[in-house]
Amino acid sequence: MTLLSVQNLTVQVGDAPLVKDVSFEIQKGEWLAIIGQSGSGKSVTASAIGRLLAPNLKAQGKALYNGKDILQFGAKEMRRLRGTSISYIFQDYQGSFTPFHTIGRHFEEFLKAHFKLSKTQRREMAEQALVSVGLQPEMYTRYPFQLSGGQLQRSSIALALLTKPDLVIADEPTAALDSISAFKVLRLLADLQQETGCAMLFITHDLRHVRKHADQIIVMKEGAVVEKGDKQSVLDQPQHAYTRSLMTASPSLSAASQLLKGDDTSCVYCN
Amino acid sequence: MTSRLTINRTRATKVFLSAFLILIAAIAVYAFLILKHDPSFVDLNERLLPMSWQHPFGTDHLGRDMLTRILLGFQLTVGYGFLALLLAVAIGVPIGVIAGFKGGLVDRLLMRVADAFLAFPDTVVAIVLSGLLGAGIENLLLAIILVKWVNYARLARSTVVTERQKDYITMAKINGLSEWRIMWKHLFPHLIGHILVLASLDLGKIILLISSLSYIGLGAQPPAPEWGVMLNEARPYFQTVPALMIYPGLAIVTVVLFSNLFGDYLRDKFDVKKEVAE
Amino acid sequence: MRLLQLNDVQKSYQPGIPVLTDINFSLDRKECVGIVGESGCGKSTLARCILQLEGLDQGEILFEGTPLHNKTEREIRPYRRQLQTVMQNPASSLNPKLKIRHSLMEPFRQYGAQVSLTHFQHGSEEQLSRQLMEAVELSPDLLSRYPHELSGGQKQRISIARAISLEPALVVLDEPTSSLDVLTQMSILKLLDHLRDALDLSYLFISHDLLAIQALSQKILVMKEGQIVDRFEKDDLFAHERHPYTKQLVSLFD
Repeated sequence: MTLLSVQNLTVQVGDAPLVKDVSFEIQKGEWLAIIGQSGSGKSVTASAIGRLLAPNLKAQGKALYNGKDILQFGAKEMRRLRGTSISYIFQDYQGSFTPFHTIGRHFEEFLKAHFKLSKTQRREMAEQALVSVGLQPEMYTRYPFQLSGGQLQRSSIALALLTKPDLVIADEPTAALDSISAFKVLRLLADLQQETGCAMLFITHDLRHVRKHADQIIVMKEGAVVEKGDKQSVLDQPQHAYTRSLMTASPSLSAASQLLKGDDTSCVYCN
Repeated sequence: MTSRLTINRTRATKVFLSAFLILIAAIAVYAFLILKHDPSFVDLNERLLPMSWQHPFGTDHLGRDMLTRILLGFQLTVGYGFLALLLAVAIGVPIGVIAGFKGGLVDRLLMRVADAFLAFPDTVVAIVLSGLLGAGIENLLLAIILVKWVNYARLARSTVVTERQKDYITMAKINGLSEWRIMWKHLFPHLIGHILVLASLDLGKIILLISSLSYIGLGAQPPAPEWGVMLNEARPYFQTVPALMIYPGLAIVTVVLFSNLFGDYLRDKFDVKKEVAE
Repeated sequence: MRLLQLNDVQKSYQPGIPVLTDINFSLDRKECVGIVGESGCGKSTLARCILQLEGLDQGEILFEGTPLHNKTEREIRPYRRQLQTVMQNPASSLNPKLKIRHSLMEPFRQYGAQVSLTHFQHGSEEQLSRQLMEAVELSPDLLSRYPHELSGGQKQRISIARAISLEPALVVLDEPTSSLDVLTQMSILKLLDHLRDALDLSYLFISHDLLAIQALSQKILVMKEGQIVDRFEKDDLFAHERHPYTKQLVSLFD
């Protein structure tokens, strides 16, 4: 069953196109990864689908969620979708939390808005959620500044999955973490995704994040899709030179020691 | 479309400004090289004359040529203003830089001192100092410097504190540069933009302060052709010969306006090119 | 005699909260030693101690046999040109108010008279700056630009050029590629490898990216919570006698 079908999505600021004619589909429970460098339009695509674009950006095309075009939804309808059916995890975990509210308070507000539960039930649910992402239940009473980056991002994940959404949009969720914490968080996300059966729209600049976990891969460059397909085909037989460059630059660990011995074609795509 | 309009506006401003400055220069040339009046020469036969080629702005109540006095007043008012500003900057900036760079006890001590000075508004300080030490332009300038240096200290300190943590300062240290070299080579370019902007905006305020306090008798004293003093002297004649008040008044307004415009211009210039790009 | 030797280094910022515990390792000429660990494991503090930006509570840091730790700035100054670094953030490593050439030539202007270089002609600043730009594969036109006109990768190349300008014995690379995109990371790592070979440099390469470490280093040290928990040659990364933490990292990255 196609959960999300994006058709000919174009996003412009003034006359300049940021996203050009992007189309793809996500099935129920599928993990779709969009890979691209900064400026490729990958984050703008995710924002467009989530109706979170800045006011000076205009989106055209269709985004059919369960058959309905959410690009046409009003603010109220969109609010109902968000937090229940579609959840977000952002790169900026610091900014996702109000500094003077405890972690627990964030859960409280969210649960009060979406569920009818008693205070004890809410607390239980929040603590369970924290444990499910590998955190101690005591984190409930801590403030954001007392948690490390990885712990905060895990809390964001816990919040995002609280309502068992059908689709999670994760926009570079590990970019601000060190590699080790990043991979741990990724592993966590993958486990949770398997458990809850949600679909994942995962935006990243690092191909290594998708080697293990993605089902489908899309590569974006300068606003357009340059490669699209299931993970195995893209990794085994990349069609576009850009994809091939990305793959050379992100080898598996076993191949890493040979990384720098490669042929010395000067890198066309790098800075 | 928009950029064409902006270019035209900038050009128009430049043309207008240049024309205005040329006009002033011409008048100055006329006054000093052609007319050559003695600004302090009292001739009661010539008092309160209207405009003429001999006296383009007329004469005042003591027969002195107004134009010459106005032009000299520029020297005095703006000159004093610059002096006060320069000294405030010369005192404030090094203190701020040292506080920001050293940190710790030195920083806290210097900033406490600065806070203490900040508690007093300049007008009050000026009046009190004049009362204690006697009226006179030196005491007025002292009062202004005592109050104004704080803002420059704080500006310098915050710039230094922000930049000090940046990696390029660490690199300079690793490359063996001494603390003084680091301050001069790396921090000074950051400071200069901010300070120029603040200073040019401050100049207008200082000029107003000098004029207004001279007007009430604290500060420059007659027979100095300072504009505030001239305003005060012209008060009895306001209804009969308003020109005596209008010229110095207009002069003050014009200079303050220009100084503020220049400050805005500097701020835009330093903001747009370098700050935004970071 | 080792180029760099650390013996029993201990450091805490607050009593009872150690940041570095029992750090022992050495580094030889032309070697690249990689230190991998999570953020907060103490690797950056270790870098700062080696660069003599911070002191030790206990232990010693020896550079070519000479103790450098806990010395005054004056005593360290003659050694500074041998101990260089490239830092993580390309933008804040260069003074935005200065032209590239002024940042690049800073070491040379400080020490230039005293040094004699084997790989670079340093008759004049002009000459040396051109050679350095060539060494890091950048056009000399960039010398008169300002940092904000360069990309992240270009800025990092300038930082590298500055670090090697006096042919230092040791370059501490403190997360030099972490702020760059994947493709640029690879090109910078290639450049670093090439320079090490061409200029007989030694590297201490600090990173949280095991892949980059594995690509560039010969010897690898794994740090966790202020201690070195494992050390091995790069080829032994997958050996079964590895520390459990190392094995955990390997399974994460592979």
